[in-house]
Amino acid sequence: MSLEEFLEGIAEALDTENELTPETELERIDEYDSIGVLSLMSYLDEMGIKATPADFEKFRTVADLVALAGEKIDG
Amino acid sequence: MAKVRFDKGAIKAIVTTVGDRLLSIDEEAEKFGYDERTLKRVKKSMGFHTRRVVSDPSVCTSDLCAQSAGRLFELTGVDPASIDALIMVTQTPDYRAPSTAIILQDRLGLGTGTVAFDINLGCSGFINGLYTAYAMIASGLQRVLLCVGDVASKFAYERDKVLTPLMGDAGSAILIEAEASESHFVLHSDGSGFEHLIIPAGGCRYPCSLEALEPKARPDGAVRRDVDMYMNGGEIFNFTLKAVPEMFDELFAFAGVEKERIDYFVLHQANRYILQNIAKRIGVDEERLPMKTVTEYGNQNSASIPGTINAFLHEPFSGRSLRSVFAGFGIGLSWGACLVETDGIVAPEPLIYKGAST
Repeated sequence: MSLEEFLEGIAEALDTENELTPETELERIDEYDSIGVLSLMSYLDEMGIKATPADFEKFRTVADLVALAGEKIDG
Repeated sequence: MAKVRFDKGAIKAIVTTVGDRLLSIDEEAEKFGYDERTLKRVKKSMGFHTRRVVSDPSVCTSDLCAQSAGRLFELTGVDPASIDALIMVTQTPDYRAPSTAIILQDRLGLGTGTVAFDINLGCSGFINGLYTAYAMIASGLQRVLLCVGDVASKFAYERDKVLTPLMGDAGSAILIEAEASESHFVLHSDGSGFEHLIIPAGGCRYPCSLEALEPKARPDGAVRRDVDMYMNGGEIFNFTLKAVPEMFDELFAFAGVEKERIDYFVLHQANRYILQNIAKRIGVDEERLPMKTVTEYGNQNSASIPGTINAFLHEPFSGRSLRSVFAGFGIGLSWGACLVETDGIVAPEPLIYKGAST
């Protein structure tokens, strides 16, 4: 999966119209609330990536999600 | 390993009574402090629409179960005096002691030769209760009455925007008889997650006090008291995504059955979002895995599986022979599933609670 596809997937999971880049601060995304976190956990789980609610408390920007996805993103 | 096969024991009747008050999330939004956007989101993602609760705060789960059991005896013609055991699964008993099941024994007109006790479980309660009933049948009893449910209004703080909009009140009665029928059960417990769904105060560890009755704003943005139920939604969601699909694999391998041969998957109705995710992972569509119970009735805790059968599957269950998987998962943490056969059982549409006269 490319970085672009991953960012699109995150935006779709969150159901947000915000344009996401790695620099986007999660707190600035309106839809990044408790439901948004569930949606992201589900999206990541389908990619085979495990993330706990405690992990999400530490995430600050979209780049943290990109880092979590690691080798699943190839470009 | 709690992995068990029974060759005797069959469900003969399922009756559910639900709360008499219909609440709609549109009307409740202000109470929970939802803005327009949040309201739209919880309706779309979580499937919140309406829920049924009891209008009289003095009504207990046993009152709903008593109405269900009364109707069950009427419809089946079974003499209450012929019941050998009464199991009550609830987190909202009449009293801290004694067991509500024993009070119901007398109230329902069962003989004093009945074995009766409570089991304290929520979302996995129907599976564990059914397992206990089948084990009793295997031990030689002829007829077991299983009562399950909760009046969740008792432990969901009315302004808790996280938990309360999910909850519905319901009480079911299920009749199990000694009859040749094959069933398989797998049951699990993991107490390391006990704090993810918990009523902290009111037990011996943290007795009820004035402090415990104080409504407080919590880190999750909700207001609740320590005597109310707390849910860490993210942890429960994560646990469910991992545990439930694994449990299905385990059950199918143990029973030696392909999932294509299952007529219905009746799962604990946690919320629509969780059910959609499970359905996707196990590859079963909504036609065989109903998920509308929370949308219409709310999460009925241990009554959610019988409640779903009465509300959405009463025709197939009363009409023909079926092979079904039931699965419950949640508070404890506790989760379990079973594969059972039913053959044209008594399963009317849900009854609305009628009050003390019943």
